[in-house]
Amino acid sequence: MTEQQQDAPQPDVSQFCPKGDVLVIAEQILGELQPVTMELLGAGRLLANKMERRLKCAVLGYKLGDMPQKLIEYGADVVFVADDPELHMYRTLPYRRVLVDLLESFDEPPHTCLLGSTTTGRDLAPRIAAHFDTGLTADCTELDIGPYEHKSKVDPSKIGLYPNCLYAIRPSFGESLKARILGPWKNPQMATTRPGVMIPLKADPNKQGEIKKIPVKLQPDDYRLIVEETIREASKGIKLTEADVIVSGGYGLGSKDGFDLIRELAACFENSAVGASRKVVDLGWIPYQHQVGQTGKTVRPKLYIACGISGAIQHRVGMSKSDTIIAINKDPDAPIFKFAHHGIVGDCFHIIPEMIRQFTELKKAERGVEAVVSTH
Amino acid sequence: MAYNIFVLVKQVPDQGSKAGLNPDGTIDRARAKRMLNPFDRYALQAALHMKKAYGGSVTAISMGPPPAVEILLEALEHGVDRGFLLSDRRLAASDTLATAYALYKTVTYVGKFDIIFCGLQTTDGDTAQVGPQLAERLGLPQISYCEDFSIQNGKVHARRIIEGGVQKVLTEMPVLVTVANSYHPLEYKSFRGAWRVQQLQRKQDELKQYIQTVDLDIVGADPERCGLKGSPTIVAATEKVGDIGGNCTMHEGSAPETLVRECLTSTKIDGFLVTAKS
Repeated sequence: MTEQQQDAPQPDVSQFCPKGDVLVIAEQILGELQPVTMELLGAGRLLANKMERRLKCAVLGYKLGDMPQKLIEYGADVVFVADDPELHMYRTLPYRRVLVDLLESFDEPPHTCLLGSTTTGRDLAPRIAAHFDTGLTADCTELDIGPYEHKSKVDPSKIGLYPNCLYAIRPSFGESLKARILGPWKNPQMATTRPGVMIPLKADPNKQGEIKKIPVKLQPDDYRLIVEETIREASKGIKLTEADVIVSGGYGLGSKDGFDLIRELAACFENSAVGASRKVVDLGWIPYQHQVGQTGKTVRPKLYIACGISGAIQHRVGMSKSDTIIAINKDPDAPIFKFAHHGIVGDCFHIIPEMIRQFTELKKAERGVEAVVSTH
Repeated sequence: MAYNIFVLVKQVPDQGSKAGLNPDGTIDRARAKRMLNPFDRYALQAALHMKKAYGGSVTAISMGPPPAVEILLEALEHGVDRGFLLSDRRLAASDTLATAYALYKTVTYVGKFDIIFCGLQTTDGDTAQVGPQLAERLGLPQISYCEDFSIQNGKVHARRIIEGGVQKVLTEMPVLVTVANSYHPLEYKSFRGAWRVQQLQRKQDELKQYIQTVDLDIVGADPERCGLKGSPTIVAATEKVGDIGGNCTMHEGSAPETLVRECLTSTKIDGFLVTAKS
């Protein structure tokens, strides 16, 4: 806190959500609780503790069984359960209706409302935020609670010192910067967090909590979209998030064909997968499912080989926790060399074939010898 | 059936180009090269596909400073029938909620529609929020992460991505669709389209029949709900991301063979290799 802030007269903003709790919207697909929910509860618990508020969680679905109990074990104090055949599969409008009704039933809106930056969370959160005319920050990588003093005179009604403000922190575009986004003027202050980033609590089977059933009152308009089929894809090849080794390609590959080389290199490793930077996904060189980074997947393989990837912040947030990062890039000043463990300055089309050649030699040398494979 | 097809497009700074990059890595929007938001190319393709397959006309709608008219011209070259640009200084610093409100007013001003296509997200905001927020304002059902669709008996059948799978959905129109980047990439513009736009640009009066620039007053938007004032969120602070590793062992200046050998000897990479027996 700076001196200036202490000396300034503090306008009364105590009317801003003095008791509102932290609410996490759980996510389940066909009865399977999604990991991001536990992560949200972990993050939400910290925020709630900091403000001495309760952590609430809402879960919607059908035949949810012991899921509400599980949510308590992972940190929730109160769980709201909407269990109804109409909620069996996620649909925007029915889920939106139940949650909007729930939030409107509170005497005071939640202080903070969190969802996952999944296809579901990103579909649902903006609807709720727009309904309540409240702020929503997408794809956060850090959350915190802290004070904020607003001094800008553009809108005098906003001036004041807000003691408990949600800090929604996310990488800012095209920059090696993180932006802290906040909006204490309206509650709930909403954010989505990217899967794989927040740390879940250890399940505590002795934790006590309250489970409350909430009504499901859909309106005719809510039935406008019908889900005909939900297909969980049996993993085609190895999932990015589960691979031990990921070989990723970027714009430096020059064209779609460059990925043939990436696939060939990936095939040299056990339990490997092919990743990509967003730019090449945008260009249609490789499907979205391969994208690593801010708007793609967060991965933590044992080995990450980045080929022709400059290392923009969006990519970096998705892979920087890999055990070993090897970067290949023509440009010695590429940002990726700032956080890779090993950097090779050179043309991918010279380096990768050479790598493949040397790997093949190594393999030949190992033939008949007990393999030194450490995949776990 | 002639469908009224709307597509929302945005002009964004080209992050791939070094022009307009400040020394500290931030983007100087005034100097940066501008481009059509890459995600919107899929939305544009979806709109044009719908027109071609089922009939109707395509209206492209954008919000941004005056140069954004460039992407509407580009859309026209691809076969879009007309464009609207909402441009107003009072829109500066709009967050997603304020943007969705301004677009809602613009869409309502432009007229009746059966379907609105949006890109999944923009490359300068990365929020994926404006589409669903606009759908909420318009009270529409939405199909987000759509990667394929068809129209049968006046209903939209679509396949959308969900976590670890896909979902097949069916809905009536009007509907808002955000198009995933696994949809078909935008086809090249035709020579005829490009030529037509070139001709139009010579006759500004005629061009105005195809591309209209409107402001908040024209579309009837409340300026209090736009720009900084209408935005519930602000960027309060930015901080540099500290370097994580900072201990990169560099291999450079030699022949590929040496570089790779150096790197491999120091990383024990061979532990992960497919073994000879497999």
